[in-house]
Amino acid sequence: MKRIINIIIFSLIILAGCKRDFDEVNPNAPTIASFWKTSDDAVKGVNAVYGTFYRTAGLYSRWIYYHGTLKSDEGFGSGGDGGLNNLVSFNQTDYNLPLTAITWETLYVGVFRANQVIAYVPDIEMDPVLRSRVIAEAKFLRALFYFNLTLYYGRPPIMLSPSQPEDVPRNATTAEAYAQVAKDLNEAIRDLPASYPEAEVGRATKGAAYALLGKTYLQQRMYAQAADAFAWLVTGPGASIYSLVDNYRDNFLVTTENNPESVYEIQFNENLAENTDDDVREDLINNTGTSIAQFYAPPPVGFSDGAARRWLIDEFLQEETETGQRDPRLSASFLYSHTDPAGPSATMIYGETFESRYGTGPNANGVWFRKFLNDHWKNTEGFRSPNNYRLIRYADVLLMYAEALNGSGSTAEAYPFVDRVRQRAGLPTLSESKPNLGQQAFLNQLKHERILELAGEGWRWADLLRWGDLSPALAVRDPEFTNFVVGRHEYYPIPQRDIDLNPNLTQNPKY
Amino acid sequence: MSKKNLPKSFFWLVTVILAGMACDAYSAPLGNYGNYDSQMIVTGKVSDGSGQPLPGVSVRLKGTNTGGVTNASGVYSLTVPEGTGTLVFSFVGYATQEIPVSNRTEINVTLVDDAQSLEGVVVIGYQTVRKRDLTGSVGVVSTENTERIVARSVPEALQGLSPGVTVRNGGAPGQEAVVNIRGLSTFYGNASPLYIIDGMYADPNTTINPNDVESMQVLKDASAAAIYGSRAANGVIIITTKKGREGGPKIEASSRVSIANLPKRYEMMDARQYVTTNTSAYQASGFPIQPAVAAYNGFVNTNWADELLRTGLVQDYNATISGGSANANYLISAGYFDDKGTLLARDFDRKSFRVNTETKRGKFKLGENLSITSSNNRTPQLGGDFAGNPFYDMFASVPIIPVRSDDLISSGNPGGWGYGSAGAVNTYARNQVALANITSVNSNFNKLLGNAFLDFEILTGLTYRFNAGLETSFDRTKNIRREGSWYQNQSPEVSRLTDNRSQFLSYLFEHTVNFNKDFGKHSFNGVVGYTEQTVQTENALGGRLNLAQFGGNYFTTINSATGAMSSSGELRRHLINSFLGRINYNYADRYLATFTFRSDKDSRFSPRYRTGNFPSAALAWRLSNEDFFNISWISDLKLRGSYGILGSANLGAYEFTGFLNQAPSAVFGTGQAVVNGATQAKLVSESLRWEEKRTTNLGFDAGFLENRLTASFEAFRAVSKDVLVGQPLPFYLGNLLGDPLVNIGSIENKGLELEVAYRPASTGNFKWNIAANFSVIRNKVLELGSLGIDEETGEQRSYIASGNTRTQIGRAVGEYYVLRTDGIFQNQAEINAHRAQAAYAKPGDIRYVNYVNGGTDDDINDRDRVFAGSPWPKFTSGLQFNSSYKNFSLSLQLYGSFGQKLYNDVLRELDSYGYSNYRTDVNPWTPSNTNTTFPRLGVAYAVNGVPADRGITSNTRGNSDRWIEDGSFLRLRNVEFAYTLPDKAFSRIGITNARVFLSAQNLFTITGYSGLDPDVVGANVNLEPGVDNGNYPSSRIVSFGLGFGF
Repeated sequence: MKRIINIIIFSLIILAGCKRDFDEVNPNAPTIASFWKTSDDAVKGVNAVYGTFYRTAGLYSRWIYYHGTLKSDEGFGSGGDGGLNNLVSFNQTDYNLPLTAITWETLYVGVFRANQVIAYVPDIEMDPVLRSRVIAEAKFLRALFYFNLTLYYGRPPIMLSPSQPEDVPRNATTAEAYAQVAKDLNEAIRDLPASYPEAEVGRATKGAAYALLGKTYLQQRMYAQAADAFAWLVTGPGASIYSLVDNYRDNFLVTTENNPESVYEIQFNENLAENTDDDVREDLINNTGTSIAQFYAPPPVGFSDGAARRWLIDEFLQEETETGQRDPRLSASFLYSHTDPAGPSATMIYGETFESRYGTGPNANGVWFRKFLNDHWKNTEGFRSPNNYRLIRYADVLLMYAEALNGSGSTAEAYPFVDRVRQRAGLPTLSESKPNLGQQAFLNQLKHERILELAGEGWRWADLLRWGDLSPALAVRDPEFTNFVVGRHEYYPIPQRDIDLNPNLTQNPKY
Repeated sequence: MSKKNLPKSFFWLVTVILAGMACDAYSAPLGNYGNYDSQMIVTGKVSDGSGQPLPGVSVRLKGTNTGGVTNASGVYSLTVPEGTGTLVFSFVGYATQEIPVSNRTEINVTLVDDAQSLEGVVVIGYQTVRKRDLTGSVGVVSTENTERIVARSVPEALQGLSPGVTVRNGGAPGQEAVVNIRGLSTFYGNASPLYIIDGMYADPNTTINPNDVESMQVLKDASAAAIYGSRAANGVIIITTKKGREGGPKIEASSRVSIANLPKRYEMMDARQYVTTNTSAYQASGFPIQPAVAAYNGFVNTNWADELLRTGLVQDYNATISGGSANANYLISAGYFDDKGTLLARDFDRKSFRVNTETKRGKFKLGENLSITSSNNRTPQLGGDFAGNPFYDMFASVPIIPVRSDDLISSGNPGGWGYGSAGAVNTYARNQVALANITSVNSNFNKLLGNAFLDFEILTGLTYRFNAGLETSFDRTKNIRREGSWYQNQSPEVSRLTDNRSQFLSYLFEHTVNFNKDFGKHSFNGVVGYTEQTVQTENALGGRLNLAQFGGNYFTTINSATGAMSSSGELRRHLINSFLGRINYNYADRYLATFTFRSDKDSRFSPRYRTGNFPSAALAWRLSNEDFFNISWISDLKLRGSYGILGSANLGAYEFTGFLNQAPSAVFGTGQAVVNGATQAKLVSESLRWEEKRTTNLGFDAGFLENRLTASFEAFRAVSKDVLVGQPLPFYLGNLLGDPLVNIGSIENKGLELEVAYRPASTGNFKWNIAANFSVIRNKVLELGSLGIDEETGEQRSYIASGNTRTQIGRAVGEYYVLRTDGIFQNQAEINAHRAQAAYAKPGDIRYVNYVNGGTDDDINDRDRVFAGSPWPKFTSGLQFNSSYKNFSLSLQLYGSFGQKLYNDVLRELDSYGYSNYRTDVNPWTPSNTNTTFPRLGVAYAVNGVPADRGITSNTRGNSDRWIEDGSFLRLRNVEFAYTLPDKAFSRIGITNARVFLSAQNLFTITGYSGLDPDVVGANVNLEPGVDNGNYPSSRIVSFGLGFGF
């Protein structure tokens, strides 16, 4: 009997010898507690915030341009995407529509990533200059995400520390949200460098932060504060960094990226091996390009999900250059039958003449946004365009500075900055052609100038909203505006999912 | 045992342990037959209750090695010591009988069917007990019924056979069934029961051959299941595979060939009808006719369903050799199952092989059960936006588009496949034929599952068992994407392949001691034990772009590709240690009690919450054995009650802590270099705890008329606490990679179950029996933990939302929460009176109920949503009828599920006047056709910058009850007609029995549901169980089969 018990004990011992480590660490990834210890961790952390730009179609890969351009009176849903076509014709019944919900979600993914950097990096023992810079970069990016959230959704909840599942914030007012953007930018400005070595180009700079700060104030028609912020770039230290490039079209070519006109530029790279837009898939390879070119390009090269309204062309044709030429910005901005002034037989659409491609068919009257396309260097498009997006151009800054000065009553002082933009395009200066405009007339002129300079770059919606011009009256230019309801369609609905999951959130008016 | 023998025994013990670890097949030595000096011969005939002879019955002299089996005429002959001893008659499916010889030379025996007998034994986990001694709720499923079903997996065949066991089946080859025992008690992930196959924790998925199963026991209440502690909250199904029996060798072979078809389709318009309707729709909306519709020339008329659907063919072949002596038995089986699906390019096959043996030697018993299977599943790429879903696409696709055409060949579409184009005819339906040609996913699973055990009888009634279990699977999935496109606006891709190799490994060591002791009228038995299990999965994936192509054929190895390479891989492992024990006490066969305990330590929890304790107790009173009980027609009556705590650990490894995600990258520098980033992508709750399910069960088992009529009734209430929920998080938290798990509150499931069986005491040629079961389960959310506080009211948020469902305190899980429709506006006066839709509605539009600010001009919006029904059946029922007349037999199985509401998302797609083809049933409202439920015809989307009619768009809202239907159904699950050939027909060539049968599965379904199959798996099996989002319907299967015994 005793022996038998021994056998049992012995066999237990054999098995107890098996390795039983209940605290085995995950062999696949570091824990949060073991991260955020070195300067390398800090830089990786902020890199991931920039990574949000490439994540999904929701932001600068595609949809943010739809929100800024197609929804405005510049463009329309010209392809087969019914959800998009209804959205930009103000006919949205599903408040969880991916086009609006995923943009919202992705902006908050960026906020969460930035919040991690801002919360954890201060405790890292590292070079204090780099540490401050990394935190400032994160604040710049957080500000950019909230700027978009406020611009398109009006009343976003404000998350400033790493998310917890139980967080149930209330809506911020539009003013509160912009105030947070301004606060982050003011703090970022302090620690951001004015420029970077070549290998780091694409990171946030002091000038970018000032420009976005100015935009933020201007959007609220806080003209004096806006003018102060822009002044750093126009008359302050930034004046020696930034300038307008001679050739307007260089702002949209892959060969002339990161030029002196670029105040903030999102870097895209063509990665043929990519197989996901979901940038947290550790088993797949990220797309670091943009797909907008594929969706804006005319058929059959692109899907033509969005196209431009024809009234824009007339806007360009109102004035000739000093040498009697057509405004060169027209052909840089659009592909249409007369992109080459010589007409359809001379206009090239991806290696083929407009005439031979479209003849007199249904596309003969098409107008396509050209600025993000790659027709200057290849005859195809794809989901991985490497063409950088110049998010804030110096020309935009000059026009906004002029608007801010005009808004604060200094209309005469505003003239030279509009003149610089016009002169680069070869147009006579405004000082010559329309001197002594009153404040309102000058603003009206600025509206025209901004269309010519910035058509299809994604700022039209913000402009119309700021000017109070959004109304069904725009239907004469864009029939989609027949559905526009004042007091409702200025902002998208907040995704219903978030309303459903957080009792403190309320939906935007009239949704 | 003498000391001399001990080293040898010790050698055996170690050998078996090692053998168990390596899981090698153990070949059993055959036992010795005894020798006796003075002997006599006993003969006799063994027959069943109706007088039919039973061949193959094991007859054994109790306590010896002497034994034999009955021949084809049911006759046995056995040499026994003169006049003494007891004969033991045993046969699968029948109750074992012991009869003293008492100097007789002829002993004829009638065996009683096990299912009717209370003497049969039931496996309850680490122990077997007599069925009559059960105190907890245990369902026994007869393989007689499951074997009639053409099933890819064991759980699929369970539908309707046991009360409280809900099975939802899909129809795809290789698809697994969704099983819920006694309702849904978890929100997250796997709500399936725990499966124990021959003492090993293993899922009886499609890789296990259902033909190898001998018996299934369903442990439903806490008392029955508590021995499995932390993994038992969803119930336990114990599966025992077939064993060899004394005698033989016995050879059995069967084949079954089945034809499968989809019983139902949506009837869609042909090309001409489509052109007419689509033209009217575009005209009604004031849009130009689509170019390809306007130019339709009558040549193309594609029936997409015909292109994709085909007649399925299911083949199932099995062969078994079994036999044994008094000291050893063996069973070897081989099976081949091949399922050519009803849908193009979907196939599944399985080859299986099993060796089960058991050997006794002195006080030792050694056994092993080992199965090896190799299965293959072939499909096109599935899931995700890119692949679409064939059960939407085959109906939504437009008939004027050809499947393929040389005219369509272009650089992005080298195959010339037909699909939508905004400039011709607009549709985003996937060309599923193209998908099946361009992509392929081949999965191969090679699985080894088994256990080996050593029993050592320490003393009479005290047995030690060492059990080692192993499940390992070597899996490979090769995913190939050739060049080409299958839908409009698809991202052009170069060809690519990925090859994913993974290994699953689960191993188990268990030490248990069983005891069994009687003291007069007091009888005790039970088990105590210790177990350890390790479960891990490791995979490595390699991929490469640009497959080499020669003459149109692709090379499909990584080395044959020339583009960029990629790789990934991970390892996940968790450990569980447990102590367990159970004691059963029986006093005079009148009072019974069971106490069970298990303590689990699980590495998937943080150290703080790592150990969980799960006790239970049950009492039973056999009223019918009391002296005062004197009701002659009640042959047996037992009252039962139990209470206990079960756990659930629906977690993956490492889920209790947050990790950095190192996948994000950014681009910097004028050289546009990609640099790495790192961030927390997924939120976690660090305080994940065990789910606890507290179950109370009351019931009785009764037998009437000498147990010809039996009934079992159960009433239960289970409250699950700290339920794990994949908590849907708002977008503003920026959480990615799925909802984080939290312990979130409490769900109640309560219900009633009734099982009734009747078998008349017929002695003639006509025999029959019938069994029916009824279940009612009510599911209610009691608490939802801390989902955040409403700052205004200061109250807890009371619901979680998923899709168009809301899971709210006081209601069932996953009730629909949508807008209510109220018919169709017939005239402008009605629209004006309703006001809320006045801005855009026209006569013929759907009227929605304006709950918030009713009667004002406030628009219809998401605030107007209300609860609109539960996806759970109010009542389910199963019925089995078996009958025979002479050599013919007929059996029927019915299954019904009543009162559940289904959301038909496919119908939403088809009836939304979007880019889909139209159903032939479409009957749009017009001023002269007002008696219809279809709104006026139009186009729901803006076209080329001209806005759509908002009224038309509003009619298509997805979050409305327009798409919710009653899903009740009654289904003839199976009908089988069989003929057993007369004994003598083939006896000359050694065939002892032969049977042919014809059967039909899912022959008809009575339902009002408009979809293809009301038996849906659900968009989210827990939170959206009634959403039909292109569910693969069950096939109608007609089979012909043959079975032989040698």
